[in-house]
Order: sequence, then C-alpha cells, then structure tokens
Amino acid sequence: MTSKKASDSSDQASASTTLDRHFSRIKAIDSARQAFLSRRRFSLRLQIYLGFFLIFIFVLSIATALIITMYQVEDRLQFLEIINGYAMEIQQARRFEKNFFLYGTNLNDALENVYKAKEIFDSNSEEVISILGKDTENVALANIERYKGLLERLAELRQDQASRPDFEREKKKIELELRRHGHEMVSSAHELMNRERYYVSKALLRSRYIHLFSLVFLIIFLASYAYFLGSRIMNHIKRFAEYAQRIAAGDFTPLMPMQRFRDEFTDVALAINQMILELEKRGGVLIQSHKMRAVGTLTSGVAHELNNPLNNITITAHMLLEDYEELPDEERKDMISDLISEADRSKKIISNLLDFTRESSSQLEPLKLDHLLEKTIRLASNQIKLSGIKIEFQSSENLPRIHGDIQQLEQVFLNLILNAIDASSKGGKIQVMVLPADEPNYLAVKVIDFGAGIPEHILPSIFDPFFTTKIKGKGTGLGLSVSQGIITKHGGRIRVSSAEGSGTTFTVTLPVTTIPSAVSTGKEKSSHF
Amino acid sequence: MSDKLEVLLLDDEPIVGKRLKPALSKNGCEVEVFQDPKKALERIGQKEFDIVVTDIRMDEIDGMQILEHVRDKSSRTKVIMITGYAMMSLAREAMEKGAFDFIAKPFQPNDLRKVIAKAAEALGSPVDFDIPAADGV
Repeated sequence: MTSKKASDSSDQASASTTLDRHFSRIKAIDSARQAFLSRRRFSLRLQIYLGFFLIFIFVLSIATALIITMYQVEDRLQFLEIINGYAMEIQQARRFEKNFFLYGTNLNDALENVYKAKEIFDSNSEEVISILGKDTENVALANIERYKGLLERLAELRQDQASRPDFEREKKKIELELRRHGHEMVSSAHELMNRERYYVSKALLRSRYIHLFSLVFLIIFLASYAYFLGSRIMNHIKRFAEYAQRIAAGDFTPLMPMQRFRDEFTDVALAINQMILELEKRGGVLIQSHKMRAVGTLTSGVAHELNNPLNNITITAHMLLEDYEELPDEERKDMISDLISEADRSKKIISNLLDFTRESSSQLEPLKLDHLLEKTIRLASNQIKLSGIKIEFQSSENLPRIHGDIQQLEQVFLNLILNAIDASSKGGKIQVMVLPADEPNYLAVKVIDFGAGIPEHILPSIFDPFFTTKIKGKGTGLGLSVSQGIITKHGGRIRVSSAEGSGTTFTVTLPVTTIPSAVSTGKEKSSHF
Repeated sequence: MSDKLEVLLLDDEPIVGKRLKPALSKNGCEVEVFQDPKKALERIGQKEFDIVVTDIRMDEIDGMQILEHVRDKSSRTKVIMITGYAMMSLAREAMEKGAFDFIAKPFQPNDLRKVIAKAAEALGSPVDFDIPAADGV
C-alpha cells in the first residue's frame, strides 16, 4: 500500500516536471515572440515599393531635366534666329551704306534695314531680355540707335548738301564713325551668334550626358537593388532551410530574431516557433510510444525468464504439499525459504522492466554513464539470454559524469542493444564500452555487434524516421530516429560505422558536466527540453 | 541392471533437480540430476539412460545439442524437453528431431510424472505411477 502511494506521488512529481518543462518552453517561445515583434517593421513589400518609388522619382527628375533642357535649346534656337535676322539686316544696311559712300545711292535702303533690325529687337525684346539680360539689350539697342542716328544725320546732311560748305568734310567724319561703328555692330552680332551656338551645342551635349549617365546610374541602381532585395530574400530562405534541418535533427530551441527589422519572414518564424511547440509535444508522445515498443520486445524475455522462478515455486510448493507429513522440519524450512527467494527473484525480474515502463518525465541530472549502461544491460539481459548471445561490458575508470535524462538515455542505449541483438546470430557477442571520446569533454558509448553489418547504400538513411530493414510489423523504423532526437537534445551525437560481414558500431558521444562551460551549455540545452 | 527406470534430469536451475529427484524417486525411478550440461553429456557418454529430461535453454550447451547427442548414442532413450512458455517453436523443432515429448515451464511434478509414465510405457516397461489424485492445486 505504502509503496503504491510512493509510486503515485513520484508519478505526480514527474507529471509536474513535465508540465514545468512545457511551460518553460512556452515561456521561451513567448519571449522569442516578443523579441520578434519589438523590432521596427521593414517589410519586403515596403522595400519593393520603396525601390520602385525611388526609380520613379529618378526617372521623373531625369525626364524633367531633359524637358527643361529641350525648352532651353528651343529658346536658344529661337533667339539664334532672331540674332541671325538682326545680323542679316545690319549686314544689309552696311552693304547699302558702302554703296552710298561709293556711288551716293541706297542710303534710304540702309536706313530701312536699320529700322527693320531695330524692329526685330523691339518685337522680340522679351526673349532678348530673357537671354541677354537687360544691360546687354540696352547696349545693343543703344548701338542700333547710334547707328540709326549716324545714318539719319548723313541723310540730313545730304539734303542740306547745297547750303553746307563743309559737306564733304562732315560726310567724311560721319563715314569714318559709321564704318567703325557698323563694323563693331556686325562683329558683336556675330559674337552673340557664336555664343548662342556654343550654348546650344552645350545644352545638347548636356542632354546627351543626362541620357547617358541616367542610363548608367539606372543600371547600377537596378542591379544593386535587385542584389539587395534578392540577397535579403535568399538569406531568409537559407536561414529557414538551416532551421528546418536543425529542427529535424531534434533541436527544439525557439528561433530568435537575427536582424534589426521584422518583415514577412518574421511571421514565418513565429509560425515555426509555434510548430516547434507542437512538434515537441508530439515528439514526447513519440518517445513514449517508442519506449513502449521496446517494453513490448523486452516483455517476451521477461516472460520467459519469469518461467524459471515460477517453475521452481510450483514444483517446490507441490512437493511441500505432497510430502508435508514425511518431511523433516529443516527440509520444510528450506523449501519455504526457496519459495521466498524465488518469489523475490520474480520480483527482481519484473522490477527493472516496471522501472523502465513508468511514465517518464524529462528530468536532467548528473549521471554516471557506466552505471546507466549496467542498468540498461540488466534490463536487456533476459532478451540477451533468450537470444543466446553474450554481452561484454567495458568501462574506463573514474569517468566524469554527464548531464542527462536517465530514462531517455536508457531508452537510447536499450534500443541500440536490442538492435545489436537482432543483428547478431545465435552464439554471437555484443560489446558495450564507455570511454572518453576523441573530442575533449565528451564521453563515448560504443555498442558493437559482429553481425552482418549494414549495407553501405542504406547507411545514410538509417536515422531517417520510418526507415526499417525489419519485416513488416517487427519494426517501426523509429528507433534510431527517436534515439537521435534524444541524443541531439542532450548536446551529443550518434554515429554509425559498419563493415559488411563483420559488424556494426554505434557510437554515442555526450558532453560531460565537469567543465563549467559544459555545465552551462548543458543547462542552456536543458531549458529547451 | 535394475528394473528401475533410469532417468537423467538436466536443468541449470538447481531447485528443479533438488525437488524433482525425491519426487520421481518415490515412484521408483533412479534419478541422476545435473545442472551443468557438459557434465551431463559426459554421463550420457558413460551410461545409457532410459529417459533424459532436459531444459532446452541453457548457457553454452542447449537442450537441442543434448537431444542430438542422445539420439546419436542410443535410439532407445526417450528424451523429454523442458521448454519455456515462449518457446513453442523450439519445442516443435525438438519433436521433429526425435524428442519423445515436451513439457512447458511452469509445470507441476505430476505433469512430469505423467510424461515419464508415458515414456516408460513406450519403452515397454510401464511403471505404476501412483500419482496422488487431487493435490489441491
């Protein structure tokens, strides 16, 4: 009665630690969620929109610049036409002026051309001002006025020719001034034209450069934009592929934020964290159900082994009953003590299995691997005997402890030993060894059989879930996959090497607890259970 | 040769021999008990038993090997196999190899007596086993 109570309370304790573990995982995932959501959002969508917006702004400014340049060129061309017309009139006027001085004709024609030139200037004064500025226009106008004034004076002089004795002298004076001034005007008109031509060609060159540079810039911008957007997405995808592998290997640590912004992939990460929680719950069920399968295998060994003490009890009890009267007291006592010891033996046979069967909680504690393996071998001993196989156990002395869940590790080693039994033929041998691993601060457990070995082509898939070489109904193909999950959670590794025809070695490495850093990583791991 | 049935009883569980020897002796059998299959084999080499009762599953040498040995030595000797409950296929195999009968653990002394009586009959020297009727179990 008391023992039952004790086991009940231990079950309760185990249930509460399971709950604690689950709650701590929920808490870890919740804090991960908060960390995820506390970041500023910079979504992929925003990056795409922003990129397109920047391109639009750029193209818009280029188009504006080009339109402005085009208008400027147009203005300059128009002005050039004006200046051209003006220069032509002035040149014509000068030709007539020359005629006048040579032949005394065409003075009125010259004046007419000057008027026309002035009119061109006046009627286009706006453009002229806008391009040359008020001052230059004034100077040009003043020049025209002066030229016009000189011509008019010449015309007056010619009319008054008779009454003016100094006509020739005066004419000569005006001629000199007129020639000089006319020359100045023509050359300034030409200079203006040249200047405008230069401006036009410069503006055209500029627009060509704008075209060219904007194209180059656009290509660079688009390439780098595509690169950044692409690498952002690719990095995410790569990261998530790694997560998937990590989770598949049984590491249920929640995903934590890896960048400064949150985006669409944050939603994926949150969903994966939720999935981890579910997977872990189911993983627990899987481990438990796989354990019950191992229990099923062990049961046949136990049932068989149980027959021996039961047989002894049956025979002894019957003989005691049959010969009770004739037997001396000593013999009777001997028989009764046999009955008691055989009953005790029965109890021992099943107690290992019952221990192992009890619903487990994930409790991490410092463990001695050699003790754990001795216990596991005892658990499998009936099965080993039944199969007619010998088991050898070797352990290095004074090994440091490891940090782990005794039930789950026992399950892993039991699974490896049962597999080794299956692989061995009758009369065969299994070796189990505990020794320091090649890696410092790790212990290695080797389970070696000398059976047929695993063919090379299936070696890579033996840890895959549902992979089995056993006949239908004999194996679930989950043993090694579940074992790998458990060992990964303990921060260890499980490896296999096999030679066809000469056997297989499974090596489990687990971190030891003696080194402080190993303890802390162990503890860190433990929070992820 | 005495007219008693000569029985060799081999089981690596000491209690089996310890308790069954007096049980069978009461019925006029001359019983030699062994726990070590090697020693039993040695004895089988020396003497022809009427009946050999052997456990099937033992370390080193198992009941099947004992059976083969006895078969090689003498066709007269009846071999009775003791099997675990879970090993019926082995029992069947033993029958095919010429075992007289088998008896599954756990068994009562009377179960073995009955099988031995049957074997004695088959040997042509029936024994009158005064099997106690109801022993209350």
